[in-house]
Amino acid sequence: MKNGTKYLGIAIFVMLVTLLIFPSISPALAEPQKELPINKYGWLDQIVFFREPDRAKALDELKKGDMNAYFIDISDPDLYREIRESPELSYDFSYGLYYDLTFNPYGPKFKNGKLNPFSDPKIREAMNYVIDRDYIVDEILGGLGVPKFTCFVKAMPEGQRYADVINRIEDAYAYDFEKGKAIITAEMEKLGATLKGGKWYYKGEPVVLNFLIRVEDARKQIGDYIANQLEKLGFTVNRMYKTSRESAPYWILGDPSEGTWNLYTGGWITTAVVRDESDNFLFFYTPEGLPWSPLWQAYKPSPEFYNITKRLAERNFKSIEERNKLMEEAFWLAMKDSARIWIVDQTAVWARRKSLYLVADKAAGYANQAWAYFINRNMKMGGTAKIGSAEVIIDPWNPIAGSDWIYDSMIYDYGSEDNAFVLSPQNGLPIPINVKTVTMEVEKGAPTTSNSETKDWFNLTFVDKVTVPPDAWYAWDVKNQKMITAGEAGVKEAKVKFVVNYGPQLNKTAYHDGSKRTLADFILPWIITFERANPSSEIYDEDSVPSFETYRNQFVAWRIVSKDPLVVEYYVNYIALDAEVIAYNFALWPSEPWHMIATGILAEKSKELAFGQTKAQKLDVEWMNYIAGPSLKILSKDLDQAYNEGYIPFKNFLGKYVTTAEAKRRYKLLKSFYEKHGHFWVADGPYYVDRVDAIAHTALLKSIRLLPYKLEKPARFISEFMIYPYVTVAFGYDKAIYWKYFPAKEIKYGPEGVSLVLGGPAVNIHTKVAFEKVGIKLTGSTLTLPNRRTYRSQWGKVGYGIATIIGDNLYVAGSTRFGTEAALLYILKNRANKGLVVVKWQDKNGDSKVSLDEISVVFEKL
Amino acid sequence: MAFPKVAKVMIKRAFILFLMVLVATYITVIVANAGGYIDKIEISSIKLKISQTVNGNPAYKGLSLEERQKLIDKLSQIEIRSRGLDQPFLIRSFRYLWKAITLDLGRATVLTSDSGSRSVRIIILERLPQTILLFTTATVINFFIGLFGGLYLSRKFGSFWDKLVIYLSPTSAIPGWFYGIFLILIFYTWLHVLPPGGLVDYPPPTDSIAFFLSVLKHMILPLASWVIASFFIGIYSNRSFFLTYSTEDYVEVAKAKGLSPRQIERRYILRPALPPIITSFAFAVVFSWSGAIITETVFNWPGLGLTYYRAIGVFDVPVIVGITVVFAYLIAATVFLLELIYGIVDPRIRAGQGGGL
Repeated sequence: MKNGTKYLGIAIFVMLVTLLIFPSISPALAEPQKELPINKYGWLDQIVFFREPDRAKALDELKKGDMNAYFIDISDPDLYREIRESPELSYDFSYGLYYDLTFNPYGPKFKNGKLNPFSDPKIREAMNYVIDRDYIVDEILGGLGVPKFTCFVKAMPEGQRYADVINRIEDAYAYDFEKGKAIITAEMEKLGATLKGGKWYYKGEPVVLNFLIRVEDARKQIGDYIANQLEKLGFTVNRMYKTSRESAPYWILGDPSEGTWNLYTGGWITTAVVRDESDNFLFFYTPEGLPWSPLWQAYKPSPEFYNITKRLAERNFKSIEERNKLMEEAFWLAMKDSARIWIVDQTAVWARRKSLYLVADKAAGYANQAWAYFINRNMKMGGTAKIGSAEVIIDPWNPIAGSDWIYDSMIYDYGSEDNAFVLSPQNGLPIPINVKTVTMEVEKGAPTTSNSETKDWFNLTFVDKVTVPPDAWYAWDVKNQKMITAGEAGVKEAKVKFVVNYGPQLNKTAYHDGSKRTLADFILPWIITFERANPSSEIYDEDSVPSFETYRNQFVAWRIVSKDPLVVEYYVNYIALDAEVIAYNFALWPSEPWHMIATGILAEKSKELAFGQTKAQKLDVEWMNYIAGPSLKILSKDLDQAYNEGYIPFKNFLGKYVTTAEAKRRYKLLKSFYEKHGHFWVADGPYYVDRVDAIAHTALLKSIRLLPYKLEKPARFISEFMIYPYVTVAFGYDKAIYWKYFPAKEIKYGPEGVSLVLGGPAVNIHTKVAFEKVGIKLTGSTLTLPNRRTYRSQWGKVGYGIATIIGDNLYVAGSTRFGTEAALLYILKNRANKGLVVVKWQDKNGDSKVSLDEISVVFEKL
Repeated sequence: MAFPKVAKVMIKRAFILFLMVLVATYITVIVANAGGYIDKIEISSIKLKISQTVNGNPAYKGLSLEERQKLIDKLSQIEIRSRGLDQPFLIRSFRYLWKAITLDLGRATVLTSDSGSRSVRIIILERLPQTILLFTTATVINFFIGLFGGLYLSRKFGSFWDKLVIYLSPTSAIPGWFYGIFLILIFYTWLHVLPPGGLVDYPPPTDSIAFFLSVLKHMILPLASWVIASFFIGIYSNRSFFLTYSTEDYVEVAKAKGLSPRQIERRYILRPALPPIITSFAFAVVFSWSGAIITETVFNWPGLGLTYYRAIGVFDVPVIVGITVVFAYLIAATVFLLELIYGIVDPRIRAGQGGGL
């Protein structure tokens, strides 16, 4: 659920739109995609989240600088105008909310004998012509919307993929009231209705349309406009203004044959960029969309349309080309069917102060999965951000089955947890955060492909057969507390194999309490997945069974191939349109350490707390909360117990990966963390949760750089040092060079943790020691690499500089001060993605100063 | 001999009050669930939400339609069961009633407390301190302003200040939250000297004194809005009340006897006026514990009023019933205690002396 898209019925989406008319403002949909300043260690020093549900007040606070960004969308045209006119503010857009006009297709006559014009697909289709969507966008939404004709958001991947088809549909169904009227008139006459005095009659009585109009948002005005158009066509309209809850018994629960309603102003929302939405047609136009709803059961798509929707939903196609063909056919057939017609994609505004950099996801806006990696102030390290949101801290946070509210997950998940990948807010493709490479093998004929954007780290090949090695872990045996291998289970084949190289992870990267990641952190969550779904387990939770069964059908096995670097093979029976998404969905990543989860296991075993809310309800105990409330006392008690016993969960197996001494050390670290921060939320992301105040609904996140101990993050690439030097070491003139680019940065005399060491061996003893160790020689005029390659400098005219990683540190040095500065400037500006770079500086303009255009790369090596 | 009669009367009164609480609670149970009709809406909401969640989750895109539907059905059933919606409403209604009357407030079906607990007791208790802090403080301030202001004006009948209060008393028709919006506009939007809402600064100060001062700072505007809203009408109504008492015959007699105004005020005006004053104060304090929905919304103040409002919005029957029954008991207890206090403070009221209560 965390990474998935959530469509929610607009029933739970409450937005009050103040309707004031002002000239059309059409935000651009297709913005050029820029490289995101992803910093996996975070840019800021601290981030404060606080609750501000009032959008107008939030805007005031933004202007005054009491808030730096608002993590809730704004759809009020007046507020949008204020944001645009404010010199302090900047804004972005998202497009996740859209409105439709849902028809009751039953008929032609209801049980009460009344005529239902919308039983006729041609009338439904003709409704496309009689609604002026541009009018709705400009005059009702104040420009905050885009006309919509299909069930895909134009700004999203599917909308862009089929932009050509959508454009043709827009042309074909453009507003033409007279054309629509002519079709409707002809069809109404065929149905036996007569037009007298401009009003439609059926069997002597006016044709009345019961129109359910939602009142919570812009749909009230949209509904009124459509009602006016229907009256112009000669219908008598009964406007039934209702809220979400009031309207549900009619449209989604009621029997359509009873004729209590004819039309409904529907609305839908999506909260993440999804790249494959080919099942939309099946959902919106066929009985299989919502099998429990009487309305959906009244849908009668043509056999041809139904067959296509089903094939698309089940991915019953052999190639992307075949999918494209099916999709195009479905687009046109959906217009012919028009069980519902689409009105607008609403454009939501996300506001922030100009001094704070953020990128809005096309669906989720600022509250997207990757926000913590790129939020920054002028691309510099440090600073504070105060972020307002409609809600902050709602449901319990726990690592197994905690809150799935976006208001919670945008903090505890997206803010404090690291990931193997995150989805790009721009195109929905995975971005590797803790993954170096993925190589994937897929059975020939599977409809999947890779994207050019991922070619640096992702490699896809098609093979005849994917064989599962017999020693791969297939399942966890709850009864015997051991792993079942694929060989033991008799599993030999899978549809997909992918190999993830995580780089150096084990015993090098740290969690927020200072514990270092081990294999046990990867293994425990997988064991728990099986335990929670097995009735014989002490932590069984029936709520997890359906999801587990689904997972089990898709995930086949995994195998740890190498520990340093950590390389893991995965075998799955799952195909996605974008092959990268397969890896994103199934690659394991332990965001929380095993000992933090183990404390919760003890609490659940003793039936004092439960990870899942359903089980908590059933046991009449608290839903486990690692940050506040009565859970803390229980978890604290269980932590003491775990420490005293040296508790290792599932010790028969996990004991191979954890010693009692290590377990005790970890529990001690967790205890210290709890005593200092007042909660147990320990993760591994760029920011740790320093404090939460659940009553005041505020959370303070701080950069991991501010932790009292050093997190030995391995920097394999120079680019990582650009964003993560805890300490800079330099002497003499090299200090001046560094301060030229980082004016406020403190410089130390020796490395502390991960350091950037600046200056050649002649002046910097740390460089001297490191260079001697690896065989780099640097004199006042020459630079010699271990491979004996030599570069000669000429004072003031030509200089060579080197940037290289040795151990945990990055060393930047030159044969002259010009070479040193050239190397520093180059890696700063280019974020060189290499382990060793040699640059040449040539004073082209004779000013004896180093500038970027005078620098060239002469050698580089991973 | 009077005690057994008093005890009998009080037991009878307690029983009647308990019956009233019982009836009020059951009516709340029925109304909160619209006689069971809400169940249908809730079930459809659950199914729709789970359908959309499953259909929209990329991890489930690879499932066949049958598998996907099976998953939706299972998840829906689990959620329906956990909310108790699989049982007939009539049975649940009596269970709610029993739990409520025995003050076993149980667990919320949808809401969680600020700290994430589903316990209705914790949901209420976590919000109560802030509610008391703001609204009871405002009630007490308003009470004493009204009391002393009214007493003062009753002595200065017809003076400039008396007339001013009379003329301005209609301004109290404007609710406190409305003044609150103006206060925010002046002190935050314009002057930027006081916070526009919230309980405390962000991030909250770590030092407890600084934290307390920060809370006080955040209280200024909402407190002021309530005080302003009640200021004139409070003084005016008390002034009229005391004027009525100050024209009684026994007050005239006391004046004729030459007692000082202070003595007259204390012995002949305040003393007989005490029962209604105590009644009004007691109920004002009890009602202040229920918070104020709009003021809490305007000032983003985490009070009990908003919790009640949200519980109604999501049909969380245990929370609605829990808050209602707590207040029903509080009111009943207040009424009961007042009966006793009347007897102490007003010599005219005595069980067994005349017609009884």
